[in-house]
Amino acid sequence: MVDNKQQKDWGTSYGEMVWKEFAKSKFTLCWLGFIILLFLLAIFAPFLANDKPFVIRIDGQLHWPIFKALTASDYSILLAAIVALTQFVLVLHNRKSVDPSIRAGVLWRQITISVFIVLVGIILLFVFIPRRLDATDYKSMVASGKATGAVFAPVPYGFGRTDLKVREQPPNRQHWLGTDDVGSDVLCRLIHGSRISLSVGFVAVGISSIIGIIIGAILGYSGGKTDFIGMRFVEIMMAVPVFFLIITIVAFFPRSLFNIMLIIGLTTWTDDARFVRAEFFKLRRQDFVQAAVSLGLPLRSILFRHMLPNAIAPVLVNASFGIAGAIFIEAALSFLGFGVAPPTPSWGQVLSLGVSTTGRFLWWLTLFPGLAIFFTVLAYNLVGETLRDAIDPRLRESV
Amino acid sequence: MSDNGILLDIKGLCVSFFTEDGIARAVQDVSFSVKKGETFALVGESGCGKSVTALSVMRLVADPPGKIVAGEINFDGRNLLEMSDQRIRSVRGNRIAMIFQEPMTSLNPVYTVGEQIVEAIRLHQKKEEAEAWDIAAEMLRKVGISDPAQRVAEYPHQMSGGMRQRVMIAMAISCKPELLIADEPTTALDVTIQAQILDLLDQLQEQSRMSILLITHNLGIVAERAENVAVMYASRIAELSDCKSLFDNPLHPYTQGLLKSLPRLGFTGKRLYTIPGIVPEPLRFPAGCKFHPRCPIGCNDKRCQTVEPQLRRLDNGRAAACWFAPGYERPDDPKI
Repeated sequence: MVDNKQQKDWGTSYGEMVWKEFAKSKFTLCWLGFIILLFLLAIFAPFLANDKPFVIRIDGQLHWPIFKALTASDYSILLAAIVALTQFVLVLHNRKSVDPSIRAGVLWRQITISVFIVLVGIILLFVFIPRRLDATDYKSMVASGKATGAVFAPVPYGFGRTDLKVREQPPNRQHWLGTDDVGSDVLCRLIHGSRISLSVGFVAVGISSIIGIIIGAILGYSGGKTDFIGMRFVEIMMAVPVFFLIITIVAFFPRSLFNIMLIIGLTTWTDDARFVRAEFFKLRRQDFVQAAVSLGLPLRSILFRHMLPNAIAPVLVNASFGIAGAIFIEAALSFLGFGVAPPTPSWGQVLSLGVSTTGRFLWWLTLFPGLAIFFTVLAYNLVGETLRDAIDPRLRESV
Repeated sequence: MSDNGILLDIKGLCVSFFTEDGIARAVQDVSFSVKKGETFALVGESGCGKSVTALSVMRLVADPPGKIVAGEINFDGRNLLEMSDQRIRSVRGNRIAMIFQEPMTSLNPVYTVGEQIVEAIRLHQKKEEAEAWDIAAEMLRKVGISDPAQRVAEYPHQMSGGMRQRVMIAMAISCKPELLIADEPTTALDVTIQAQILDLLDQLQEQSRMSILLITHNLGIVAERAENVAVMYASRIAELSDCKSLFDNPLHPYTQGLLKSLPRLGFTGKRLYTIPGIVPEPLRFPAGCKFHPRCPIGCNDKRCQTVEPQLRRLDNGRAAACWFAPGYERPDDPKI
């Protein structure tokens, strides 16, 4: 740490300018808020919808069933969310109080520590938290007077619980959004389903962006024969109807969430590759890249430190649309029965139950997940749209 | 090589661009040498090959379509063209640095100027980060930027063109190079800033005894600052001379035309001289001497139209490529 240095005013960075432009649209900010809300919903899903009470008094003793019933992955998600939030706060804090000359180093150290904490934490959680099955029916215990002082989650149903007595019920006071064909609460399944939708969106887009960036960067920087052959390959990939390819592949592999993410990621990178290639093609001949080469910087630094940040804008915009697309594809796959296997809840799956085996049209099973998908996809698309406008320097009034 | 004070020695450099329309010979048989501590000027109109020559020294010619087809570039006794990529990287920025023409686009917009200077310093001098930041601020102070401790934290878009060019210079000299290639360093700047930047280069040169390869189309700059000059026309050197004799007694008709077309103080009444015609395109060079269609002496001469004169050292220590330069002709030359 260099303490004797005076604080410098860090200039307005490109990212800050884009954010300022983005924040001008209050309408889109609302939709960004909606996305953040969805995230909170996904992270805290077990606390919002769970058939275990937070706390209950049985035979005079206090029990905490919900915390015992949480799985290692639930705890991992919570841990990752807390660390990510802390990291975000730290970044904001860095901007104010860390000297710019060492800020990059400090940031890297913080990120390394955060990643380390999350990884070690997840491993420890999976090692030390056993798979427990708590089949106790706390609600009947409360009803029969055996237990008292129970505090339940707002939606007191588990997503895997079936209750054939209340199957195919329209929305009512007990089940706000109705129940499905095996008597599971729809609202509960939607809340837990948001985890699937969001993680599919982010992981799939993460995979496709990384592949697209690497391929695009190599093609754009090398040019010539490599570029020619590579682009023909990209064009062949683009000519393949992705959705039918995914259906075909999913039919051959086990129906796991990870497979679906991987397949969506592996088949949708072509747009990113094209964007990055085009940007690199343009940047390769720009003076500052030539200047970087003339300073003797290694190729790795030129490609990923100097060129990539200048080429990332269209990838970010595309990622926003890509997340919407991936959520949509996952919902469609689940609707067609190729999605995640029950009882894992997913919006598309609930939607597909709308037409029951008896031929009745259960409108609440179609409308509510449909709205969830609709608003989520809409939110991502609007955010992507605004981001694109904010990044476009021709639309920016003051630089 | 290094004992006779020559730092950069270019011999028979030929660079061609292989385009769809044909082969453009951008640089042909260019030879000159730069001594330690001197300013060597490479002068010529746009498209005459002077920038390509400079880029060749850095091995920055875009490949494809460009290719260095022949020649040697000896730097401190070593041929840069034969070095491995690894070796040339340790020379670039460290022993040879370059300033580009366009300050507005020569800095990376996503990093602060400090970060960009620090990266170069840390790469070549193996300094600690905090120390490198101190050096960066010191460099900015050296190139005349006020409040350097604050300025290192600013982004290029917060600076004016002249400031950015100073930052470029600071970046280039931060590793104390032996040779600084300045590719039209002042073309994009207004006249007062031009003078400041050039004075700054002079100062820095005095302090550190580095050589400067100054590439420009501005003869005024050359007259004031350079010790030796090479005038390039259509991919070749037309005339190579020390600065004073070049201005006193130009040998090549092209140089004569250039000097005549300079406005002079007290020159009134007549229209300024212009060299007739335009610079030929690299894909459509004329046969014979490339200057003959525009030359007042050679335009009707058979030999100028058919045989291209090579650059030849003359008795007075200067060199020219013109059949009509005094003392150029030799007994075994072709006669037409």
